[in-house]
Order: sequence, then structure tokens, then C-alpha cells
Amino acid sequence: MNILLCCAAGMSTSLLVTKMEKSAQDQSTEYKIWAVPGESVRNHIDQADVLLLGPQVRYLLPQLKKLGEEKGVPVDVINPVHYGTCNGEQVLKFAVQLVSK
Amino acid sequence: MSKFNSMLENKIMPIAGKMAGQRHLQALRDGIVLTMPLIIIGSVFLILSNLPIPGYNDFMAGIFGKEWAAKMAYPVGATFDIMALLACFGIAYRLAEKYGVDALSAGAISLAAFLLATPYKVSFLPSGAKEAILVDGGIPTALMGSKGLFVAMIVAILSTEIYRWFIQKDIVIKMPDGVPPAVGKSFAALIPGFTVIAFIWILRLLVEQTHFGSLHNIVGELLGKPLGVLGGSLGGTLVAELVIMLMWSCGLHGANIVGGIMAPIWYGAMDENRIAFANHEALPNIFTQQFFDIWINIGGSGATLALVVAMILKARSQQMKQLGKLGIGPALFNINEPIIFGLPMVMNPMMLIPFIITPLVTVVATYIAMSTGLVAKPAGIAVPWTMPPIISGYLATGGKLSGAVMQAINIGISVCIYYPFFRMWDKQKFAEENGIQSTVEEVPSDTQKDIV
Repeated sequence: MNILLCCAAGMSTSLLVTKMEKSAQDQSTEYKIWAVPGESVRNHIDQADVLLLGPQVRYLLPQLKKLGEEKGVPVDVINPVHYGTCNGEQVLKFAVQLVSK
Repeated sequence: MSKFNSMLENKIMPIAGKMAGQRHLQALRDGIVLTMPLIIIGSVFLILSNLPIPGYNDFMAGIFGKEWAAKMAYPVGATFDIMALLACFGIAYRLAEKYGVDALSAGAISLAAFLLATPYKVSFLPSGAKEAILVDGGIPTALMGSKGLFVAMIVAILSTEIYRWFIQKDIVIKMPDGVPPAVGKSFAALIPGFTVIAFIWILRLLVEQTHFGSLHNIVGELLGKPLGVLGGSLGGTLVAELVIMLMWSCGLHGANIVGGIMAPIWYGAMDENRIAFANHEALPNIFTQQFFDIWINIGGSGATLALVVAMILKARSQQMKQLGKLGIGPALFNINEPIIFGLPMVMNPMMLIPFIITPLVTVVATYIAMSTGLVAKPAGIAVPWTMPPIISGYLATGGKLSGAVMQAINIGISVCIYYPFFRMWDKQKFAEENGIQSTVEEVPSDTQKDIV
């Protein structure tokens, strides 16, 4: 499963990526998790099964949701508390939930 | 939700949403970002040619010859002097991308349109002569750099709008099936591209009849000057900073949103300083991009490094201790989303007070220190915003200790402002953890859900 994260510069989401990878290691599913800046999403979304936005760029949601619908990729904003506390486990769960919906 | 929160939610969110969703502002911001890596690389050479070490000059001259500084300036010129060119291409590219039309063609067309808007006249000072003469047939590097930034922005948006209009109305030359797509694309760009070039050409012919002489002069007079006053004055800067912080208060990336408007001004000011610094002249500007990156946003927007340090050293509640540990690493590199969303700062009436006040106070303090000459101004050196404080202040001033000292002072100021609020918040969390009924008004945890 490929999980794409995006924020303004792809910096703070990359913190979360390491945490998510750590929690993904415990599961047997193969995960690819990576973070990009908002403007690069277009070039990465084709490889993604799900796109998660940092809460600080949630103004991009309408635009990216439209893009996601075209590509059949679910798009949503990460819960701010999970984001702030870098809760990789919860965010991973959220991503899996979105895909299986 | 408290009154303060609903005020933020109702007043700021719609403005932020509109500004952030505005595709031209987005394209401006994302396009100008294209110049950043190159400017940082150029800055490295700028620093190397001005290292404030005794004997360095003689040492370098001994190895590379007397002209070493001029040679060191080659990469500086090649990166800073094409800022407008790159921005023009970048903005057109990003805008076309948002319209879903061929971005590469749009970028190429607007690049040509930008050059078309620029007179190929260079003032040239022959060696030995006293007065410069105007020479035809050269591309003026000054106008390809920060001085041409506003024209580049306007041309990029104008030409891409024309371009996408034609493509979306399907007024293009169509190639029969079997023609390779790359060839087809270049033909598709013919009619819109021709229209863009003809339009800018006529515009230039008209402008040449006026006393302005060139599009660059008009834009400089009518747009650059007023905006420069706004971005260069303390009042204008405080307003911009306040808007940025209010957006962050709703959990939105304020700097990124306001960047579309302010970045050209602050990058232009940065480049003016860079040129003055290289020529060993007095630096004209205080408010440049680096002013905010280096002296104000220490630890991230809202200068939260001081707060994180307080959390590590003084927190009694487990929650604040843990968050401090989580937040200190990124905070040293000026990334503070863990604090903003984890503490949380967002929609937290108590913590928002220091969060908004601190940067406003440090803007004023740094401005006073720099305008009185106590502290060196930013020298036009683009230190990456992720550079840790103290080092970054030293580098951004071209190796002046006062730059680093000012950062330390600003950290001190933010400690003083944050600390009482941090104590109250920590006390409340400590009470919650230990089951003590808190007297302070609770922030219900479900406000977090409201803001998503």
C-alpha cells in the first residue's frame, strides 16, 4: 500500500513518515510512505493509494480532493492532534481506513 | 467554543481560504520557490568571497590571484541575476499546471514574452571612460534579476491566461492521428503562443510612445514603489506578520499563504542588499526574506523554540514533557508543527496570546537594533530557513557576531513572553493528569474536531 503525505514544504510531514514507517514495520503489509510539498502532489499521486494532508495545508483539500477523484485516490486531512504528536500508528490506521472505504 | 475562537474561525478562515485557494497567488508563490535553491547556492559563494577572517583576502589572492573576488562572484551573478527569468518560467509553469494545460509550453512562451517586454539596451562603461553609454543588442542582466521580478510575474500570469484560454476553447491547430504527441503539442502552442507574443509586442510599442519608455519602468513606478513602501515599512511589516500569525492560529500555513504577495517584495529587498554587500556599500533594507526566516521565526512561526526549551526544562505535566522531547529536534531546524498541533497552539486562546505577540515584539526589537546600527542588517545572503539559530544569524549578516547576538536576544524575549502562559497551561495539564479539578477554563478536546 502506497501512502502519500503532503504539507507546505514536505518537511514536517517527513517527520511523521518515519514514525509511520516504524509502526508499519510491525504489520505484515508492505507499505511505501513518503512526503512531498503541496505543489508536487500532481507528480506523485499516480503512485499513491491514498493521499493525506497536513492540517496546515488543509486549504488545499478542495483542490486535491478533485484531483484525487479523477485518479480514484481517497484524500483527507490528518487529525491535528495525531499530526502534532507525530502519532504514526493512528495516522497509519486512518490511511488504511480511507483506502478500505 | 470561546468568542475568540469563533472570531478566528469566522473571520480569518474565509480570508485564508480565499487567499490560499486563489490560483494566481499560489502560482506566484510556487513559481518563485524555483529560484530558492539557486539563490542559496549563490549565497554560499557570496559568503566565501566575504569571509571576515583576518588574512583571508591575502591567502585567497595568493592562490587564485588578485582578481579572486571577482571570479568568486561569477556563480553569485549566474544565480541571483536570473531570478526574474526563473520566476517567470516557474510561475507560468505552475499556473498552467493548475489549469491542466501543457505547463512546459506555457513556461516557454511566457519566457519569450518576458524578454519581449524588456528592451535589449545595456548601459556600458568602456574602461577609461567617465560616462556610461547605452549599447544595443545586449540582454540587461539587471532586469533579469530581482529588478525585473514584477514584470516577470505580470507577464507570466498574463501570457499563461491567454495561452490556457485558447487551449480550453480548443482554438488550436490539430494534427492528424499518428503524429507523435510531442509534435502535436508544439503545434497546439502555435496559435496561443503567437497571440501572446503579438499582444506583448503591441503593448511594448504603445509603452514606447509614452514617457515611461519601457514596461519595466511603468511597473516599477506604479506597482514596485507602493508595494516596496508597504513591505519596507515597519507598519506594513507588522500587518503582514499579524496576518501570518492569525492564519497560523487557525492552523493554516500563514507564511505560505501570504508568501504570494510578500515574497516578491522581500526577495527584491534581499537582492538589493546582496548587490550593496558585494560592493561594500551600506545595506539599504532591513525587511528581507531573511529578516523573518532568521531573526523572527526562531524555532518556527511564532518563535516557539523558547517554548520548547521551557517545556523540556520546566514542564511538570507528562504531556508537556513528552511533547518537548518530540518537538526539540525539529525546532532546532525551525520546524514547529508538532508544537502547533500537538500542544496545541491552534484554537487555544491561552497560548495564542504569546504566539501572536512574540513575533510582533521581536520584529520591532530587531528593526530598532538594525536601524540604529547596533546590529548588522541581513546582507542579502539566502541562508536556508532550516538553518539552526545563532549560526544562521552569523551567516546571514555576512559574518557579523551582532547578527547572532540579536538572535539570542530574540530568544530571550520570547522566553519572557511565553513563560507565564506556558506555566498556566502546564499547570492545567498537570492537574488533569493527576485528577485535580482545574480552575482554569478547560479547552474541550472536541474543539480539535471542529477545526478539521
